[in-house]
This record gives sequence, C-alpha cells and structure tokens, in this order.
Amino acid sequence: MPATAATPAQGGDTASVSVFHGVPGLTVDVYANGRELLPDFRPGTLTEPQSLPAGTYDIEVFADGEGPDGDPALQKSVEVPAGANATLAAHLNAQGDPVLTAFVNDTSKVPAGRSRVTVRHVAAAPAVDVRAGGKPVIEGLTNPNEKSLEVPAGTVSADVVLAGTDTVAIGPADLNLAEGTTTIVYAWGSAEDGNLALKTQTIGGMESAPGGVDAGESGAMAADNESATAWLVWGTAGAVAVAGLLAARRRYVRSD
Amino acid sequence: MASAAACVAVAVAAVLAALVWTLWPSGTAEPSEFGVRPPAAGPSAAGFPARSTAGAEPLGVRVPRISLDARIEAVGVEDDGTVEVPADAGRAGWYRHGPPPGAPAGSAVLVGHVDDRTGDLGAFATLYRVREGDVVTVARRDAPPVRYEVTAREVVDKDRLPAEVFRRDGRPVLTLVTCAPPYDPESGYEKNLVVYAEPARG
Repeated sequence: MPATAATPAQGGDTASVSVFHGVPGLTVDVYANGRELLPDFRPGTLTEPQSLPAGTYDIEVFADGEGPDGDPALQKSVEVPAGANATLAAHLNAQGDPVLTAFVNDTSKVPAGRSRVTVRHVAAAPAVDVRAGGKPVIEGLTNPNEKSLEVPAGTVSADVVLAGTDTVAIGPADLNLAEGTTTIVYAWGSAEDGNLALKTQTIGGMESAPGGVDAGESGAMAADNESATAWLVWGTAGAVAVAGLLAARRRYVRSD
Repeated sequence: MASAAACVAVAVAAVLAALVWTLWPSGTAEPSEFGVRPPAAGPSAAGFPARSTAGAEPLGVRVPRISLDARIEAVGVEDDGTVEVPADAGRAGWYRHGPPPGAPAGSAVLVGHVDDRTGDLGAFATLYRVREGDVVTVARRDAPPVRYEVTAREVVDKDRLPAEVFRRDGRPVLTLVTCAPPYDPESGYEKNLVVYAEPARG
C-alpha cells in the first residue's frame, strides 16, 4: 500500500477495505483523495483488505496512465465508517456502463458448522437466480444488489441462471464454503460480450463455538456406579446381619 | 437373648453400610477436578500462529495407563448446534472445524461417549480415572503421532461448556470431552467432563 494513501489511525478509527475490479477489458489506476491507491489494476483482481482511516474518500478511476490530471473514467465519493469491513467494486451496471459501488461485508458470527455466502450481482446482465446443486437458493437478484444466506460448511457446485429459467449464464463452479467464514461471490462481466464470470472473496474469523457435547445415552455410567454402590452396601449389610443371626442362633443352641 | 444379638448385628450392619457408603470412591459419581484449564494466552503463548485449522487428520487416541484406546472419526455439528458424537460409542470424534491434534495453535477437541443406548460404557468412560501427567498419544494420517500430557480436568454444566474449549488460536492444547453425572432420565447427563492435555516436552 502506498504510504501516501493512508497511515492507519489509532484504535477503532480504521476500516478494512478491499477493492474489486469488475470492468472487463480495462486496466486502470485507482486514486483516493488525489493520491494513487492502486496502479495498473487489472480486471478480475481483488485486493487484499487494507486498513484505512475511517472517513470520506474521493475515489477516481483512470484508464491506465491517464491520471490524475485527465478525466476519470469513474468517480465517486465513498463514506468509509470506522470499524467497517467493505469492498469497493468497479463494475458494469445492468446496461453495461462502468460504475462504482461500495459494499459493506457482513462479518457477524456464523453458527458453528455453518458458512455464510453472499452473492453480488455486478454484471451487465438481467436478473439471475443462483443454484446450489441444481436447486435455486437465491432468486431474482439484480444489479447492483446482493443476497446472503447461511449454509452448512462444505463444497457446493453452484451456477447462475437467468431468473426463472434453466439457462445457465455462469458455471457451474465448485465453491469451497469454509466453516465460520463469509464467502462473497461476484457475478461480473457482460452477458452481451459473453464474458460473464465469478470471483470469490473469503473473509474468515466469524466462527462460533458449538452448543455443547451430548456424549452419553443410557445413564449407564451414572447408574453403573450407583447400582454398584447399592449392591455393596446392601450386600455388606446382609452379610453382617446373617453373621449376627448365626451367632445368636449358636448361642441359643448352646444355652439349650 | 437371640433377638438382642440380632439387634446388635443389624446395628453393626447399618454402621458398616454407612461407612462403606461414605468411603466408596465418590469420584465415580462425579469425577474430581484437578489442574487449571490451559489459558489461550500467557507468557508462553508468544510465537504461536494466530490461528490454525490445517494439519494431519487424527486416526486414533490412546491413554495407555487407563487403557483408553479409541479410533477417531471426524465429526461436525448436529442440527441443534451441538457437536456430533460418533454413533459407535467405542469411537472418539474429532471436531473437524477446529484445529487437529498436533496443530501449532488452538484447542484440538476430541469427544467420546461415556456410555451408549444399550448400557455399555463408551470410549471415554475411562477418563473418570485419568490423572495429571498421564500420557495421551494421537495417531495421525501420514504424520508421526503426537504426545500430550494431561494437566487438568474439570466438570462443567453441559450448557456452560466454555467457548474457550473450541478456541482456534493461542496456546496448543488437546481437549477431551465426555459426559458426567448427574443423570436425568429425561434430559440425560447434566454435566461435561473436560480433560486438558498439553504437548509433551521432548
């Protein structure tokens, strides 16, 4: 990260920001507040999260080498709140024009054994459905919106179809949905140009402890010990009583 | 005369019975606690990787002194959010979403039945007899076995199992979990027995 872009502020005044380039065919330079943040940024790339001071950023995207004095291809003022985890996406809108969208990533805890999937429609394409193992799990998603769901962790085969149809637009692709993480899937590119594709971003550290461990069934371990104790106690008592009675009887016989 | 002797005998029997009742090792009813749960952090925690969930798959666990010897299968989470426990009570389960035994950081969790539906005792019933310093060995796929030494044991309410038991970072520890009395015929065992073992030196 260029030193000019940001010196992370103290404590909770920072945000974690990654940038996704989803405009096909255009290598760009990204500037924040007039300073170069990402040089030679290629389509389909996603940056590692960077820690940036919270605040408002004037983001400008120039065709490679044309900044910062030329006309930006894209420009947007983006609010980065303290503590946020965000992804800034340069992508096409449904009509095929480049736009900038700031997405806030959900980093809340995921229940034990599960994984969160977020799908973002950032492609020049109509509404889509997302299917997992052939079954629609997200329906009618439109540009530039997102939908999330929690699923059991594991690998799923996912594809993207035109909403309400079986016409596959992207995929299928295997998604490894790791436990306790958020996997963000970007459907990007252009339907018209035939370059629709998926890009995934994984954010970890959202795991939860499971609800407990039920490792007993019959109570045998508890009962076993209790009944053993009971047997011993009654057995001892019985033996002593019998011995006592025998002794008493012997005396009785002798005194006869 | 006879009845007096019988009375004495019964009285002696009662006293003896009471004595046996008190002296009979109560540890079997609820196992005793020892040691201190290994903290995630500490002076020696420095240098451990932040988190770790990758590593060789565990195949079997042994504690020779108490004749604990169980094969291990990987387990996940039930629909109700609790850890899956192998259906075969003779086997132990490794909580596969956490670190595996031998991982450089975090708590590797093995779960095992104390008994099964038929009334037989399970793989981890012998943990009631485990002592500080007992050696625990975990065999792993395509990797050398790892050795731990038991350092602590605690009994906790089943709904209060410390989240720390499942931590994925900090000091490495092997955590063995089973059930402990009291037993409620409706809801089952009310407590968990948790045994902590730390990497053996040398």
